[in-house]
Amino acid sequence: MSQMASGAAVTTAIEAAYVAPRRGPRYSIPVIVLSAILLVLILPPTIFLIKVSIYTTRPDGAFGELTLKYYQQLFASRFFVSALVNTTIYSIGSAVIAIGLGTMQALIVERTNTPGRRWVLLGAIISLGIPGVLYTVSWLLILGRSGPLNSVIENITGVKAALNVYSMWGMTLIEGIHFVPLTYLMMSAVLRGTDASFEEASMMSGAKPLRTFWKITLRMGLPGVMALLLLVFIRAFESFEVPALVGLAGNINVLTTNIYQSSKGSGAMDYGQSGAYSVCLLVIVAGLLVWYSRLSKNAHQYQTITGKGYRPRVMNLGKWRYATSALLAVIFLLVTGLPLIMLVFTSLQPFYEGVTADSFRRFTLENYRVLLGPGSFRDSIWNTLVMGASVSTFVVPFTALCAWLAARRKPGGWVLDQIATAPLVFPAIVLSVAFLYVFVNLPIPLYGTLLSVILASSVRYMPYGMRYAYAGILQIHRELEDASSSSGAKQASTFMRIVLPLLAGSLVSAWLFIFLLSVQAVSLPLLLVGPGTEIVAVTLFDLWQNGQVTELASMGVVWVSLMVVVSAIFHVVTRRYQVMAG
Amino acid sequence: MNMIVTKALVRFSLAGAVALGLGVSANALTTEEILNYKGADRDKILTEGAKKEGQIIFYSAMIVNQALRPVAEGFMKKYPFLKATYWRGDSEDIAAKLTAEIRANNLVADVVEGTGVGEMVIQSGLVQPYYTPVINEFPEKYRDPRNLWTPTRLSYFGVAYNTRLVKPEDAPKTYEDLLDPKWQGKLSWRIGSASGTPLFITNVRMSMGEDKARDYFDKLAKQKIVNFGSGSARTLVDRVMAGEYPLALNIFAHHPLISKAKGAPVNTALLDPVPTTAATMVIPKGVKRPHAAMLLVDYILSVEGQKVLAQAEYFPARLDVPPLDTIAGVVPRNAKVQENFVGSEDLNKYTESSEAIFQEKFR
Repeated sequence: MSQMASGAAVTTAIEAAYVAPRRGPRYSIPVIVLSAILLVLILPPTIFLIKVSIYTTRPDGAFGELTLKYYQQLFASRFFVSALVNTTIYSIGSAVIAIGLGTMQALIVERTNTPGRRWVLLGAIISLGIPGVLYTVSWLLILGRSGPLNSVIENITGVKAALNVYSMWGMTLIEGIHFVPLTYLMMSAVLRGTDASFEEASMMSGAKPLRTFWKITLRMGLPGVMALLLLVFIRAFESFEVPALVGLAGNINVLTTNIYQSSKGSGAMDYGQSGAYSVCLLVIVAGLLVWYSRLSKNAHQYQTITGKGYRPRVMNLGKWRYATSALLAVIFLLVTGLPLIMLVFTSLQPFYEGVTADSFRRFTLENYRVLLGPGSFRDSIWNTLVMGASVSTFVVPFTALCAWLAARRKPGGWVLDQIATAPLVFPAIVLSVAFLYVFVNLPIPLYGTLLSVILASSVRYMPYGMRYAYAGILQIHRELEDASSSSGAKQASTFMRIVLPLLAGSLVSAWLFIFLLSVQAVSLPLLLVGPGTEIVAVTLFDLWQNGQVTELASMGVVWVSLMVVVSAIFHVVTRRYQVMAG
Repeated sequence: MNMIVTKALVRFSLAGAVALGLGVSANALTTEEILNYKGADRDKILTEGAKKEGQIIFYSAMIVNQALRPVAEGFMKKYPFLKATYWRGDSEDIAAKLTAEIRANNLVADVVEGTGVGEMVIQSGLVQPYYTPVINEFPEKYRDPRNLWTPTRLSYFGVAYNTRLVKPEDAPKTYEDLLDPKWQGKLSWRIGSASGTPLFITNVRMSMGEDKARDYFDKLAKQKIVNFGSGSARTLVDRVMAGEYPLALNIFAHHPLISKAKGAPVNTALLDPVPTTAATMVIPKGVKRPHAAMLLVDYILSVEGQKVLAQAEYFPARLDVPPLDTIAGVVPRNAKVQENFVGSEDLNKYTESSEAIFQEKFR
């Protein structure tokens, strides 16, 4: 630790020595250009969001009179305080579960010689490929009143339905586990970019592996952990699916379901309450970001990718490696295995009624026959893949550049961070409606095209790209870039030739993650896509609305297989690229 | 000289008049007139006009594979000169999209169909009246005197129960039966949709009258009904099948029967009277392809079109097209129970206050 501190002190001194006199211009052209692009993309929906929250909406969709009633209703609801408390417990709880498990996975995979560690990535990709609703439903099936777990408990103890999943712990657990693949991917990107020599030093000074993890590895990855905490916390704060499916059934209200219950009942198009809620969230997030940026002001303490060879080496755990292997297996079972088994099982049933003796006699391939026959699924796959790949390919390099400018405190760079993170707080339905109004009113014929879906989805997933890249960049020491620029390289080529290759690990994870998220989204593409352009989301939605859970499951299985193929191809390609670059 | 000029002028104006006359005869009918044309040459006028329009765009809440696609295919077979494309969303999505299009003067849809969307857009004044002779084949109660909508398919609502947890003879048969203490904590219903809790409450208010209904809701509230918040009515039935809730109120009556036919432990109980609603078809103001729109309306309401919907496990609104045998049992006239048709007027009148009753008593 002292080694690190003194190292940091030296760097600070060096930086102070030559950063101070270089108080450059108050603006930089790339920042202005990028801010302009971001503003063009994000300002229209933001204005819509704010207007929706302070004007009444007339039945024909026009704004009526100015009002504060949505804010008053939000705060005056008799459920407000309890919902706020519940939301906080739920958000913190699921963030802790997600980060705990995800970090554990990442540490074991990136830092140890545990057998089987290579399979964790596959597990993460599989769970990200399972449609969100299905993920929640399969957990409800596992933990539900008639689920296998309760049956086991009943057989042992004789207590009927001992576990009630429709409760706070159920919600928190399901949401938390759902986020493990994200936290794993992000943490492993962070760790891959972290110099292991501090850890080696610690081990050589006699510290045990656990102590080393706690004292060195975790603390060096702090910016990454904080970025994650922010992300998962905000996501949980505004999540709707799990609270609605799990919480409402157990009469546990969080803020989002509270709003849903009070405003959506009549079916009228009134987004005022959810608008007001989002505006409040926007303010909270802005606050969190300011705090976060203070924290990363001292980020040079965490810069570990320096001019020296930095590729981390793995730690030999000796006998302990079997224990970590078992741990990985347990996490895999929780995050991927059980939901996947449930998914495959359900996909082979004519209808779902839980895991009963009868159900094992009813296996059928009918769902697959229907799914792979002529119909919307086959038609829509291509459009969906094009959409997902375009969104990722646009978002990842774009946010990497933004994050670099922000992290390096280029003049005005923090603005980029703020703007690019803002879409995180938009509820999907508000963002969809906002973009609908934007595109339908544009003089250029974008409305109804796949391109409009790509643009809107890019905005929606911008914050993820931003957090991924930011965490990665904070670890790249400035000296590398300074070496580049003092050798005469321009900012642009420094970014292209130094920063991007060093970031490659983080960016690959980010690309995959954003791809997997954007192809699954339902409500955003649904409203924007035009007649005749089918996307998988429509099929997903159809099956879900019609309660064809078994067909939905079979689609999930096919989809997951496809995603595994996509990411395999992707990995082969990037590896080749890295070989060529190296 | 004068003569020549005059002659030229006369000729010029004659030519003009002829040109104008032609123009008038081609555009003789306004959109409004096309949509409400009653003459004997209706088919001819619509077909000729539709040929020029070349395509039709349909927004609907029907499922794609079993209903929308076959409807589009059947329609294009009948009118090969028209290209039919559709977009599928649920009623709230359709209403949002349509509203945005009309407000931006960028209308894409020609015909719109759904279960709640009709009420929403009628209330906002975004649709226009139209006439089709086929409507005369439909029962009087399923017609709109203002000619703003036509019915495409009906929905009947009932109670779903898990047959492992509830014996058929114990299943509720009347609304009073739901007050039995044995059901406390065992009932569920779907919130967050006009066809969920508000419809149940509206039906009780319409059939019992406001005073008796109030008393009834006070008692029903003691049953501690589970508010099911996410997913469609169909997904609530799945939870009943899985044994999570023994009973679910106000679900689409045919859903349990479809699963029952596959062997699932679930069934429907009808309570007297059975709330019934219709999915409707409307034509937005400023429709771009009125001829083709009317042809599609005619087609969907025809025996042929209604048969396609029946195959997709919907209840046709025409009495001369029977629903599939597996689900015919829940049609009130077959089950010998009363039907309470809650039309779009009633929905507009009651839904908001019914939602208020829900908020007051059942949250």
